[in-house]
Amino acid sequence: MISIDRQQQLLLNVARKLKKKITVYAVGGTAMMFLGYKDSTLDIDLVFENEKDRNLFKEAIKSIGYQEMDAIKVYGIKRNTPEMFKLDDERFDLFVVEVIDFIFSDNMRKRAEQIHQFEDSLVVKIADPHDIILMKCATDRIKDKDDARKIINSIKIDWDIIINEAKNQIELGKTKAAFELGEFLEDLKVNMKLEIPQKVVNKLFDIVKKQIK
Amino acid sequence: MKDLLQKLSGIQTIESIKDILKVNKSMAVYYVYSLRKKGYVKTKRQGNKRIYNISINNKLKGESYYDIINQYSPIKLSIPIIYKIYGKKPSLEETLIYAIKTKSLRTILASLVLFKRINDWAELYRLAKENHVERQVGALYDLARKIMKVRRMNKKFRNNSLPKKEYKYQYIIQDLKSKDFSEIEKTWKIYLPFNEKDLEEYK
Repeated sequence: MISIDRQQQLLLNVARKLKKKITVYAVGGTAMMFLGYKDSTLDIDLVFENEKDRNLFKEAIKSIGYQEMDAIKVYGIKRNTPEMFKLDDERFDLFVVEVIDFIFSDNMRKRAEQIHQFEDSLVVKIADPHDIILMKCATDRIKDKDDARKIINSIKIDWDIIINEAKNQIELGKTKAAFELGEFLEDLKVNMKLEIPQKVVNKLFDIVKKQIK
Repeated sequence: MKDLLQKLSGIQTIESIKDILKVNKSMAVYYVYSLRKKGYVKTKRQGNKRIYNISINNKLKGESYYDIINQYSPIKLSIPIIYKIYGKKPSLEETLIYAIKTKSLRTILASLVLFKRINDWAELYRLAKENHVERQVGALYDLARKIMKVRRMNKKFRNNSLPKKEYKYQYIIQDLKSKDFSEIEKTWKIYLPFNEKDLEEYK
């Protein structure tokens, strides 16, 4: 597990090895740690704006000893899995624009207001909690449901942001976005007894119905 | 601990903690102690009262441009967004450029004080050029000179930054012009967002 202090030290070490200034977006457990929802995470999940930046980052982490590993072991056979790098029990999951079934959209980038800069070369923008929930439904592991639960129980969720982003994802070509999100939220509501308004789930399935027609 | 942190996040006193958690004074003190031990608490004294700033960001350490402005400026800013920097102390030059780029009236106003301490004009020019705000820096410097004793701007900065004939006027904050500092505006072809009254907090 990676603690908050360790995560900072790691990112600082990477920043020192980077050859050019880059901006990345922290999602998943990493973002949750920066936002105060978690004390530790299994992996550092980052989204890059382009392949060039990911390559620069890869070079930097390889130079401090990280080795590539097979994403199928963790994510199964899915599209847009990250490139993964491991050193002992610490892992980086590196995505470019697409996170499994979602696109890290312009709206998501705009919502990522919190910034953490490591030395001069690494700028980490933190995904908004609403977008973290959305992306958690793409991976659909038990720990992801638990993470979504933590966020939903901690802040007042603006469900319109989530519904509108699902619509946006469909426009961007991710046609299953509303369906997957609807299923995910319904599961959280029924099995984890979370307070998710039924009308939110209904709205998402209405979008799906319209898509079918 | 996470629940406790979430409940108490923000500015607190022992009394407010007692109210929120519905506990007695010694338990409230104990909760502050345990949060402080984890690095979540910054304490300030106001008279004989202790004010606790409780936040996850205190544990994240790092320094923000707003911390630096607040350190030097008589005009204090509440922190609108989290922008933390790790592994280095942000320079005053960087802080000034950041302040200008926020396009926030109060942030820019509070940052004028930095001209008192800026002495690496080459670095300031490099950063200003990189961010296309050389004239904005020049105009704000001339404004700061009117209200406080500042370090002398080096000639190279001034000469390289003054506008050419064909340059058009630019705003620092969209649509805000000054009624009182038109001379400076004319020199730099930059509209200043302040009038004399705005600068009273410096006097």
